[in-house]
Amino acid sequence: MRRVRLVVDALAAGAVVGVLVVAALIVTGETTARASELAFAIGALALGVGLLGWSGAVMAGRGIETMQDHLDASTNWTEAKSRRAMARVGGFGGGLMVGSALVEVIAYGP
Amino acid sequence: MVSKRYVLKRLLLLVPVLFGVASLVFAILHLSPGDPARLIVGQRAPASQVEAVRESLGLNDPLYVQYVRFLLDAAQFQFGESYKVSQGNPVRQVIATRFPVTIELALYGQAIGIMLGIPLGVLSAVKQDSLTDHLTRIGALTGISVPIYWSGPLLILFFSAYLGLFPAGSRIGSTIFLPDTWTLFGKELPLTGIILLDTLLLGRLDAWLSAVHHMFLPSVTIGVYSMALISRMMRSSMLEVVRQDYIRTARAKGQGARITVLKHGFRNAFIPVITVIGIQFGTLLGGAVLTETVFGIGGVGTTLVEAISDSDYPVVQGIVLTFALLFTLVNLAVDLTYSHLDPRIQQ
Repeated sequence: MRRVRLVVDALAAGAVVGVLVVAALIVTGETTARASELAFAIGALALGVGLLGWSGAVMAGRGIETMQDHLDASTNWTEAKSRRAMARVGGFGGGLMVGSALVEVIAYGP
Repeated sequence: MVSKRYVLKRLLLLVPVLFGVASLVFAILHLSPGDPARLIVGQRAPASQVEAVRESLGLNDPLYVQYVRFLLDAAQFQFGESYKVSQGNPVRQVIATRFPVTIELALYGQAIGIMLGIPLGVLSAVKQDSLTDHLTRIGALTGISVPIYWSGPLLILFFSAYLGLFPAGSRIGSTIFLPDTWTLFGKELPLTGIILLDTLLLGRLDAWLSAVHHMFLPSVTIGVYSMALISRMMRSSMLEVVRQDYIRTARAKGQGARITVLKHGFRNAFIPVITVIGIQFGTLLGGAVLTETVFGIGGVGTTLVEAISDSDYPVVQGIVLTFALLFTLVNLAVDLTYSHLDPRIQQ
């Protein structure tokens, strides 16, 4: 439940920020379509980084922790912390995409 | 024995990885400047023609529509046709033609890394704090620290230009001609694209020797990096294992040092090294892309660079996703090997 909430919170925050980013870009002189395109692409970038980071942490996190220990180069980086952070980044990116797409749908229709 | 549940869990992880890579590539390409339609029709083409191409490629659709369409196509490994690099040809065909070169280089690099890195790491650990150990560690540190775009030209300068020992610039001698197919039981079959294998399939020893001669420098360029990390990892892992009680017991019971290290120590020390080899494969693929460019070998790396500068979206997307798929599959194989050697990892 906590995991779902973590992603849903980030998604909601991303959606709100997405709408605000589109509005801000329109104010600076961009067309609605271009503003929403930009916000959507930035959101996709965050979603991609988040998903990749999350799955990378799940897949290789333990190995990286072990490798750091073996190389005597241990940092505070852990698989669990990385997974949570990346879930937030990915959720936020997804929200940004949803928010910006919504603005475009409202402005031009589906 | 590796459990089915574990394999399924690992296979399911491929989905977010590929989804993430696809989203990332899509976003980066659409945030970068340059209009693919304009590139296809040329700078002097009228706006109406550019608009017609944009419409036919679906570039006028909202970005979320393009994104969903791209994801659905990518899920079926369909990337359409190349806009510019190999205009009109399916991306799958472009990848199939040029990918073997990159894979070949990465595999040779990995092979050199494993064959030299493991013995050097073991030797360094067994002879801890000796001159051999210090030299190996210095070598490993240098190998990890020097980037390929620097070590590649240095090797060319020394071994090719100065000593004239190895050629640099192609995969095989310029006077050697290879056909497109080989014959098996009277049946014509296409070649694999992997030059050392193809020359063997054709039964051409002269061509094979020429290929080995030409591929030596590029393979060593990426192999050195791989070797450095593997030997460093092997050393620390081995040092940890030789301090364990069971090693001391074996020694106390009168077993020779060499047998103890090789029979009891090596297998356990090798387990963490397997993970490093898997993680490293992606780095080696990236290294192969750079090495191809440095040595002028026409593989997928050169194509990728060309496609990026030409905003050839389908080719970039196809190549990057193929790399991601390959990387994740290699990691999966490594993971399964790891869990086979140490079943505790599955819990």
